[in-house]
Amino acid sequence: MGDSPEMYDEVAYAYDGTLEGLLTAIFSSYANHEDPTDVEPARRLQPRLGQRVAVIETNPDYALRVLRGVRNRCGWQAALALKRAAVSDEPDAGTAAYRFVRYATDEQKRRDCDHCRKRATCKGRGGMGPCPKQRGRAFSDITHPAVERLFQISRSISQECEHMRQFIRFEHLGGEGASLWFARCNPKAAVIPLVMDHFVERLSDMPFIIYDEVHEMAGVYDGGDWYLVNTAGQGDLARALPASTADEALYAEAWRTFYRSVSIDARMNPELRRRFMPKRFWKNLTEMKEDPKALARR
Amino acid sequence: MNLIEKLEILSDAAKYDVACTSSGVQREGKKGQLGATSNAGCCHSFTPDGRCITLLKVLMTNVCVYDCAYCVNRKSNDAVARASFTPRELADLTIGFYRRNYIEGLFLSSGVVGSPDRTSELMVEALRILREEYGFRGYIHAKAIPGTSVELLDALGRLSDRLSVNLELPSQQSLGLLAPAKSRHAILSPMRHIHESIAEDKESRASRRKRLTMYQSHALPVRKSRAFAPAGQSTQMIIGATPESDFQILNLSASLYQTVNLKRVFFSAYLPVVKNPLLPSTDAVQLNREHRLYQADWLLRFYGFNVSEIIDAENPFLAPDLDPKANWALNHLDFFPVEVNTAPLETLVRVPGIGVRGAKLICRARRQSTLGEAELRKLGVAYKRARYFITMNGAWGGSGIDFSRDALHARLSAPIDGGRHGRRADKAVPGQMTLFESVEQPPVLPEASAANQAALEVAFAAQSKALEAAKAVA
Repeated sequence: MGDSPEMYDEVAYAYDGTLEGLLTAIFSSYANHEDPTDVEPARRLQPRLGQRVAVIETNPDYALRVLRGVRNRCGWQAALALKRAAVSDEPDAGTAAYRFVRYATDEQKRRDCDHCRKRATCKGRGGMGPCPKQRGRAFSDITHPAVERLFQISRSISQECEHMRQFIRFEHLGGEGASLWFARCNPKAAVIPLVMDHFVERLSDMPFIIYDEVHEMAGVYDGGDWYLVNTAGQGDLARALPASTADEALYAEAWRTFYRSVSIDARMNPELRRRFMPKRFWKNLTEMKEDPKALARR
Repeated sequence: MNLIEKLEILSDAAKYDVACTSSGVQREGKKGQLGATSNAGCCHSFTPDGRCITLLKVLMTNVCVYDCAYCVNRKSNDAVARASFTPRELADLTIGFYRRNYIEGLFLSSGVVGSPDRTSELMVEALRILREEYGFRGYIHAKAIPGTSVELLDALGRLSDRLSVNLELPSQQSLGLLAPAKSRHAILSPMRHIHESIAEDKESRASRRKRLTMYQSHALPVRKSRAFAPAGQSTQMIIGATPESDFQILNLSASLYQTVNLKRVFFSAYLPVVKNPLLPSTDAVQLNREHRLYQADWLLRFYGFNVSEIIDAENPFLAPDLDPKANWALNHLDFFPVEVNTAPLETLVRVPGIGVRGAKLICRARRQSTLGEAELRKLGVAYKRARYFITMNGAWGGSGIDFSRDALHARLSAPIDGGRHGRRADKAVPGQMTLFESVEQPPVLPEASAANQAALEVAFAAQSKALEAAKAVA
């Protein structure tokens, strides 16, 4: 029997796990006139029974075309949702993004321009180009099955980004004449590329590294520009870095003291704290770690 | 005394200041400078009591010349250790914390040392070091000390993002009783001054941007100055130390929102930190009351409610077992049900179970599809509560239930169970049958009645008498 394409009636696209890869996969589905049942990163993909796997070669040009198309037709919110879906750890994130683009490009084409005041001058007449009036339409239909999942994923990723902005804690490291700030985090999705801009903006005068120990990647800011580094297979990044500076322990101790003394015992409400500050973040929070001095005494 | 001991004393002394927000001003970062602020603010940590930590909240000093009965830092309290930061120490600590992403900025308050002007000078110096020497662009909330001169208040306003003046207690009568050195006028006049300065600053900035006429350019400020308190001003008052009703408190805060354009009024449930014959020894009742007051405050600020709709003189306390919005809905059943597929936004937000975010999502989603129960659930609306008050394409959601005040009250009543944990969480919901019927009932706030009003008068009289007695002994 051999591996002839006819014997498979379903196809799954395996991309490399990046945003560009996901967008190229979406592009390929149009180029190949195929409708893949699954779009997933290659490392996670488990082919179903009778499913052919097509590995997608990432092409930045195609990716940019898809992103521009989505932005023009469906608005920037939809483009942002695709970016967020690309960093998600949810198994169906890629498929949800693909389903949305399929649905939205068809939906945005159907357009009733007869009563539009600007129809005489509009470039998008007949559904071929962008119509600013209706641009966000497909993505705002959040209860539609094709939009709902992407909207959910996008919302959970934006929440995780906010958690990172809240709970990342920097440590001051120093070697010979060099100074570096280091933060370790364990987010649910690979959101570092989405929060680097925030930290670069406010901490622009100090070089820093944000290390994601779950996804084994690091965002590195060198004082001029920031970039992502893949640290997979190289062990813990912190071993390669210098020790912390002398005043680091003082500030950490001061922060723990502040945290302790600002709480009001009569209002004790640990459930509320856990809701706002989930336990999974506690191991990397300076104030929730146990005091090193108290540990030594024990 | 080292830095950590000082921090312990001065942050402990500041913890009863409830205002902890870093919102209201958007300032982008600048290359080479530290700090930026975002409009929504950011909470960096949460204490075991569930309150957020967003700013380094400390006092400049806890030495104070006043003797306010409710305050830990009052002059006559010998039990508390005294400490002061130097402006430089405070600025260094703020920068150190900010770089580690512990905080969003600084919240600076102070006990009154020497005179209000001397205190404000110290605060201005600390903020000047931060802003001008260190080029700090993060958030700063400063507390204006009543009695400070206008020039110092201006300097403080130019250096900080938000100013606040504490109202302390909700009436002149209570202030006279518990904080004899402070008067209503001394508190309200800096508030008005800040309000005018903010308005003036906004106006001059607007004319600078727009260049309305060619003549105006002569009058424009030559030097580009820092905006005066761009995130506005706020205030706080203590609830439950004195016998004011919720009616008085909410009317006061509503009038403050209108007259001096406050951004927030914070309520702080009185907790007996100080033993004093003048003060009640209260318990969880005040915390629950604070919770209801905040719910009412949100209705005023975001839901388009008028204060007279939430509370009136006949029922001067908010219902303890029902949130204010559900209470309003039960009193206005003629307003309901509303049709979710056509009702305007301002009507939707009045439905119990639909919040501002839910209402906006409904308006967004209904442009494309008709909303039913499944769709509403997807949008994150509390359908369980909302169903009795809505129709979905003509179908009423609460079928099977009598559309009457009593029937709906039983379904909507939700006692506050905040702060319950461990064994305290085992309590059954009131009205629910339990194995042991002797379960404690939740505390009930005094019901509004003429007899009750008389009781409050008696309480006031007793407090004043006790004060007289205390004075006579002194």
